[in-house]
Amino acid sequence: MKLKSALLGAAAAFALAPMAHAERGSDGEVKILYYQAVSTLNAYLSSGTKDVEAGSLVLEPLAGFDQDGNLYPRLVESIPTVENGGVAKDLTSITWKLKPGLLWSDGTPLTSADVKFSWEYCTADGGGCAQAAKYEGVKSIDTPDDLTVVVNFEAPKPYPYQPFTGGTAPILQKAQFEKCLGAAASTCTEQNSKPIGTGPFMVTDFKVNDVVTLAANPNYRDPAKPAFATVTLKGGGDALAAASAVMETGEFDYAWNTQINAEQQAQMAAGGKGKFVNAFGTLVERIEINMTDPSSALAEGERSTIKHPHPIFSDPKVRAALSMAIDRQALVDVGYGSAARPTCNLVPAPAFQASDNTGCLKQDIEGAKKLLDEAGWTDSDGDGIRDKDGKKLSILYQTSVSAVRQDFQALVKGWWNEIGVEVELKSIDPGVYFGGDAASPDTFQKFYADVEMYANNFDGTDAEPYMAQYLCNKIPGPDNQWQGENINRFCDPAYDALVKELSTTNGIEARGALVKKLNDMLTKDSNVVIPLADRGRFSAQSNALGGFVMNAWDAELWNAQDWYRVK
Amino acid sequence: MLDAGPQPLVQVSDLKMYFPIHTGLLRKHTGDVKAVDGVSFSINQGETLGLVGESGCGKSTVGRALLRLYEPTAGKVVIDGQDVASLTPEALRQKRPTMQMVFQDPQASLNPRMTVADIIGEPLLEHANLDEQGRLRRIYELMDQVGLNRSFANRYPYAFSGGQRQRIGIARALALNPKFIVCDEPIAALDVSIQAQVVNLLEDLQTRLGLTYLFISHDLSMVRHIADRVAVMYLGRIAELSPRDALYARPLHPYAEALLSAVNEPDPNRARRQRIILKGDVPSPANPPKGCNFCTRCPKVFDLCRTIKPDLIQAEPGRFVACHLYSNTNAGPTGTQAPISDNQQGVSQ
Amino acid sequence: MLTYTLRRLLTAIPTLLLISLVIFLLVDLAPGSPLSEIPLTVPPEVREKMMKALGADQPVMVRYVLWLKQFFWVEPQYLIDGWFGTDFAQGAQRIISWQSKVPAFQIIGERLPQTLTVVGTAYLVGILIALPIGIYSAYRQYSWFDQAGTFFAMAGFSVPTFFTGNVLIMIFAVKLGWFPTIYDTQLRVTDWASFYKMIMQMALPVTVLALFNAAEISRYTRSSVLENLNQDYVRTARAKGMGERTVLLKHVLRNSLIPVVTVIALGMPTVFGGAIVTENIFKINGIGAALIGAIHVSDLPLIQTITFIFAVLIVLFNLIADILYGILDPRIRYD
Repeated sequence: MKLKSALLGAAAAFALAPMAHAERGSDGEVKILYYQAVSTLNAYLSSGTKDVEAGSLVLEPLAGFDQDGNLYPRLVESIPTVENGGVAKDLTSITWKLKPGLLWSDGTPLTSADVKFSWEYCTADGGGCAQAAKYEGVKSIDTPDDLTVVVNFEAPKPYPYQPFTGGTAPILQKAQFEKCLGAAASTCTEQNSKPIGTGPFMVTDFKVNDVVTLAANPNYRDPAKPAFATVTLKGGGDALAAASAVMETGEFDYAWNTQINAEQQAQMAAGGKGKFVNAFGTLVERIEINMTDPSSALAEGERSTIKHPHPIFSDPKVRAALSMAIDRQALVDVGYGSAARPTCNLVPAPAFQASDNTGCLKQDIEGAKKLLDEAGWTDSDGDGIRDKDGKKLSILYQTSVSAVRQDFQALVKGWWNEIGVEVELKSIDPGVYFGGDAASPDTFQKFYADVEMYANNFDGTDAEPYMAQYLCNKIPGPDNQWQGENINRFCDPAYDALVKELSTTNGIEARGALVKKLNDMLTKDSNVVIPLADRGRFSAQSNALGGFVMNAWDAELWNAQDWYRVK
Repeated sequence: MLDAGPQPLVQVSDLKMYFPIHTGLLRKHTGDVKAVDGVSFSINQGETLGLVGESGCGKSTVGRALLRLYEPTAGKVVIDGQDVASLTPEALRQKRPTMQMVFQDPQASLNPRMTVADIIGEPLLEHANLDEQGRLRRIYELMDQVGLNRSFANRYPYAFSGGQRQRIGIARALALNPKFIVCDEPIAALDVSIQAQVVNLLEDLQTRLGLTYLFISHDLSMVRHIADRVAVMYLGRIAELSPRDALYARPLHPYAEALLSAVNEPDPNRARRQRIILKGDVPSPANPPKGCNFCTRCPKVFDLCRTIKPDLIQAEPGRFVACHLYSNTNAGPTGTQAPISDNQQGVSQ
Repeated sequence: MLTYTLRRLLTAIPTLLLISLVIFLLVDLAPGSPLSEIPLTVPPEVREKMMKALGADQPVMVRYVLWLKQFFWVEPQYLIDGWFGTDFAQGAQRIISWQSKVPAFQIIGERLPQTLTVVGTAYLVGILIALPIGIYSAYRQYSWFDQAGTFFAMAGFSVPTFFTGNVLIMIFAVKLGWFPTIYDTQLRVTDWASFYKMIMQMALPVTVLALFNAAEISRYTRSSVLENLNQDYVRTARAKGMGERTVLLKHVLRNSLIPVVTVIALGMPTVFGGAIVTENIFKINGIGAALIGAIHVSDLPLIQTITFIFAVLIVLFNLIADILYGILDPRIRYD
């Protein structure tokens, strides 16, 4: 852990707060627009990113991620490391020291019992905690005193910072949520919509899926912050209308996730009332290649399972050719404008673990054709589609319904047709595609297509669980109700071994090097994953809002305490 | 009789009622339905003029145009000294009490959402200066006159039988003491058993109140019963206008003859008239024949009929007919007899 | 009339039960999962536990019976508790939205005021525009006014609200900046300033919806008045020497408004149902927006509850329309 840079990052964040606005509540109201309206402020029961974001104004984790992806302390004195003795030498425990004197917004003190309770809350049976993965591998939590939290792991954890970090793992007040454990969690309407927190604001009114109003927390640890007295967090509409409300009409100070196409971006920017802000995290739009045979001729339960390798894609040359034929810059220009950048990597950030692989960025149609020729796929009957052994090079390309994705499909289909590949397109309702219903043939997990496109990322900065998704034993299939995460059914013992090594490796540089290696195995070496674009966060900020720092690693509202009104 | 009789109360001269036809995309005025095409007659004080003809001949239109429920296209309608056709809307409204109408369909002509008392009393509100008590008294009086039980005053029209409804309609028409009433097929929608009652009521009222009627009907026997004189209409024009007995005994116009041949003779001992069956259909009033309107179906048609429209002329004393047969015998083809007196139809074009 | 009403209400019960089952099955069979909005970073084991916590893993019939019990037994208890401060419910499980974990009726309670305000006002304004237009169009049939009215109705009918809504926003909110583009549900009218704000934010959505409503109702009014204008009793009224105003307003209108009133009553459920499209465009976050939002994330309990309430309202207003007809038209008697 680069403690120094972490501290510097935090210091920089503080420095951004102007001296002129050193009084709490002096700047009146700030208006925030989340076009996907907020459903709950309890991140543990959230049904989407928007809820985690909104909750972060009220509830805080022990440590957060700054704009560079570095951990910085929020409720604790410092980030524990092996060097400073905070992390046990055998990597089986981590000790957090709370800052003394912290108060909840109701005036009661924050103690280690609250921290422990948050873990209990999320792991309680029947609670359906959405962030349970954050606490995976936690054996027990000790609270030797009111300010000390010791997290014990079941096995050595080279990355012990998952629990209680980032907006997805906030600390709840034990007194408030005590009766909401397990199955009772969903009945605690009052608690979930008005949680008591340590953050800069506290909820004054909550209208589900509509609007949340907040006021400055009188017990916030920095007496000069936040500068805004109240926050209105409105929901509804769509991304374009949200962008317009900030950029054109100036009704709002900040609008979250204003993902609109390049042309609309330019039109909005002409409004002159604000600017778009972006930050690149790990969300990568990619085409996943099915390594198994999705043919409908196969019996149900055999389709897209490891029993039948893919008849075309088993040859790495074909996969490479598909990747080479794509002009990633063109895709980004059409679909995302400045909200994305082309990438060849599955893990594009942060820098310490991002591979320098850029070989795919240049489109190479001729090279792709040559590769296919080499692989034995030629157009023997002159119909423009390559064939081999009487079988056409014809593939089904599926994704979810979304304007951008259908543009991408059309463009990619054009390039693939150019190299002699016949492409059939299919788009599926996102609710079905991402719904994970084992009975539906159209989920992305079932993958009843040759290639499919979606975007995925990982929480925080630790890529280990993300890389572990491509292990042989995580392949979805009928025996696990199609719930595995190894979507393209990639299976390589060498990869598995390397992931195992990662799980025991300590030290950020060494881990970064391993992640790079794993990334390359999936992308440029084998082309089972064809990354297309690194999709950043893309929001609209009013010119009248100061102190906003875009962050791709934590909630975008991570530093709301530092915001102020530009006069 | 005509010359010696009392002064006419109603004088109609050259009444025309055309309904424009709009066709095409821009709804251009491309023609007219000539429902009434130059009709003249007069009705004397206390007299009943029957107006007969088959459906679609324009007889109801004459009735409505007379009371200016339609805006006549041309012509004069002088009722009690004032030309109704040219009155201003307000003057017309003031004139309304003098002239009233009894409609064919007693059900449709009564507002379904008003009680009997409201229906009868409404014109009193508008035209009579009566207080609440006085109005109620008048309503009861009218109900008594037409033979309606007073206790029905607060019922709605749907609760009555056809005959009772027509009595309501008559009471309503009588409310303002009119001089002239147009009875537009007042019995057509009623059961046969009720028809006589209503006609008798009308006659009775006429005697008592000195009313003048234009009695429009296609029921020739009923007209024979009530009318003093009868006008026979065909396709918007009057074919024959004669005193009742003369007409029924010996119709002059071939159409009148055909029409009356259909009437059942009440006395079986009398020789039954030869039924005359007309061939063909009535021509469209939008496109009447060039000559005599009846020339397409007339059994006695000759060449002149197809080119020149015959005027209504006095063929015999008190009898007027629009037929070339009579202009030949009585007045000669040259038409030496002066165009008949201005209170009868005579103009054609 | 009373027996008729009671009989109609009684027969409505099996109808509604059947409707509720059909809705439940339809909603359940519709593809989609309540977890589709959860980021992919959440691993499958966790998803499974979340489904379990929602109760979504239960067989459909078990969930239906549970919903029936909650809707007809538990929720009324909470309602009574809310009114009289009693405690019949004793903490029984309410119908809870899967997405927000908030009781469905609380959501509906939060959403109803803005829907009723905006959609209700629009309905009222629509009626007030439609009646004079319809009446005068009929009275002056084929005049330029009638032609303009016909054009207006056609336009109002055929131009979708999402188009008119966005055009109005584009012109009056974005370019001219006269009106806000986002409806503030927090706004409480306490003084003239807030009243003015309320009017401003309601102006555009009410215009869009009122145009649409007016188009429909004005057509009904026109045809109904036309039909009555040619009736004999109108001729009678004229023959009586009534003024045109009396003829039109008293005789014609009273009769021709009977079917119009029925149509208006039948349209009332849509006022409660909100206007899905318009609410979304103007970010009114009313019932319509709640429904479409719930459909997006397959929030079964909320969809089921809202749609069923619509069904109840439709049945109810059908009955009200019939009763109104009986009251307004003396010829009709339900005995």
